[in-house]
Amino acid sequence: MVDDTQVATVTRPQIQIQNAVKSFNGRVVVDIDNLTLGDHPIEGLIGPNGAGKTTLMRMIMHSTPLDSGTITLSNANGDRDVVISDLPTHWMAPHGVVKSNQVIMDFDKLTILDSMLLAVAKHRYEQPHRILAEKSVYDANVARIHEYMEFFDLGDPYRFAGSAGEKKLLDIIRCLLLDPKFLLLDEPTAGLPEDLTEKVMETIRDLAAAGTSVVVVEHDLNVIWNLSDDVHFMAEGNVVMHGSPQEIRENKTVIEKYLGEGHV
Amino acid sequence: MNLDWLDAFLISGLFSVVVIVGLGLLLHLQLGLTRIANFGVVGFFGIGMYSFGVLFTKVDWPFGDFWAFLISLAFGTFVAGLSGLLVGWLIADLDEDGVLVGTLGFATAVAILATTEDGLTGGARGLGGLRFPYDVGSVKADEFLWLIIVSIVVALILLYVWWVHRTPYGRLLIGIGGNEPLARSLGKPAFRAKLWLFAVGSAGMGLLGALFGVMERFLAPENLGIDVTLAAMVALVIGGTARAWGAVIGGFLVIGFFDIIVQSYLPFPREWYGQAIPNIKQIVFGAVLITVLLFRPLGILGDMRRDKLMRRVHGG
Repeated sequence: MVDDTQVATVTRPQIQIQNAVKSFNGRVVVDIDNLTLGDHPIEGLIGPNGAGKTTLMRMIMHSTPLDSGTITLSNANGDRDVVISDLPTHWMAPHGVVKSNQVIMDFDKLTILDSMLLAVAKHRYEQPHRILAEKSVYDANVARIHEYMEFFDLGDPYRFAGSAGEKKLLDIIRCLLLDPKFLLLDEPTAGLPEDLTEKVMETIRDLAAAGTSVVVVEHDLNVIWNLSDDVHFMAEGNVVMHGSPQEIRENKTVIEKYLGEGHV
Repeated sequence: MNLDWLDAFLISGLFSVVVIVGLGLLLHLQLGLTRIANFGVVGFFGIGMYSFGVLFTKVDWPFGDFWAFLISLAFGTFVAGLSGLLVGWLIADLDEDGVLVGTLGFATAVAILATTEDGLTGGARGLGGLRFPYDVGSVKADEFLWLIIVSIVVALILLYVWWVHRTPYGRLLIGIGGNEPLARSLGKPAFRAKLWLFAVGSAGMGLLGALFGVMERFLAPENLGIDVTLAAMVALVIGGTARAWGAVIGGFLVIGFFDIIVQSYLPFPREWYGQAIPNIKQIVFGAVLITVLLFRPLGILGDMRRDKLMRRVHGG
């Protein structure tokens, strides 16, 4: 499973990770020479605990700064490449790079609708002097928000997210509302009931079909095998191999290090 | 104008309540929404007061008092806003302890500068020569009119703060206050937003400082003590940090009760007024603060009610 030779024309947004190193207290957690994400519409990222999956995701978002190396976003439609590892975290979303969170992240004082409106509001409306901007923001986005509210059966938007699952779902919907070009999902279905997991997977498939590149980190391997077009296997801070779900789940090293004997 | 019915103590008592309410309202945007505990309120207040006072009294203005007054007022507001931008830049990325120390330190620096730069500020002797930009007959009438003018300014601040809850800007501030990393990941420039919040809030505090200085007529470093910050904070916390009306309710209940009823109308022995009453006041402020935080940590008005508010705003 050597690197595919790069396809000459980039067809969808890609993220190139080069010589990226991150260590905590002297222990190297991620050390990747060269990795391209986004060759396939949906890619899975798996590996044992401590392999560095979440850290790698956080490095891409620059919420964990790199010790060294570069991360570049190349766009599908011929826009210039952006070295996103040079940019602060809040520039990722405007560039279309968006990540859902592994742990539950929420605004506890904001209602469900509030937190969605916060995600979609353009920053020019969020200035101290834009005192009449609420109507514009609401009118421009309420239809989209209601579509998601109905699809995920969230009920009344003017209430606070209750359960952990609901907050997790809200986190994913906020990401979708940002119109991502490159979507990273860190354990998107952990804590979600089965019917919602199905709906989230359906939405992700639609999104990928429409041109977004998606990378999913997940411990629920059924999600990975069902969803991914390509799977990266990560161990000890590096992506050691990648291939189709079929190839990865039958690979000896992967079975030995991660899946265990007897995994079907 | 016959103002015999009006007590001079009542005017000055109400005036200090109104000013503290104004400061509490601006603090509400920083502490209540964005969760930045600015302990340097009196620093921005003092910068505005002294920048205004120095420019107004030291410059040989070629035109009338009224315009000199307005220009100096704008200058004081601007300088306070600029200092807010600077302090904001220093503290916006710090944790709570850093913000506390940074803002407290700034306020102390302002008080020290007001004392040591005596060529400009008159030092500990103070700076005289401030006056109202009008003369309506008697000192009492002048002060009463000034109380009304400043009350209008504070009412406008209240209107703005109340309205901010109904704007995308307010939502941004609450989002940053609630979960800054999440706000950043949604593309919100949290650092810049805090910077501008500090600049605008500090400009407002500076304006109130200048307006306060006019009423005092005489600027002295004693006006720049931490008790101004504490009064604004006590008013806000007791009324409710998260609510626009919190500072108003808290200000009138606590500061109003003390500065007006206790200090002016209760029959304490005369010799208490120098030392005892201010000390008792601090003790009771502390006790009230602790009681409120123990039994109703979000203040009298409680937490913000975005569920009800947003339903109303969107007409749902």
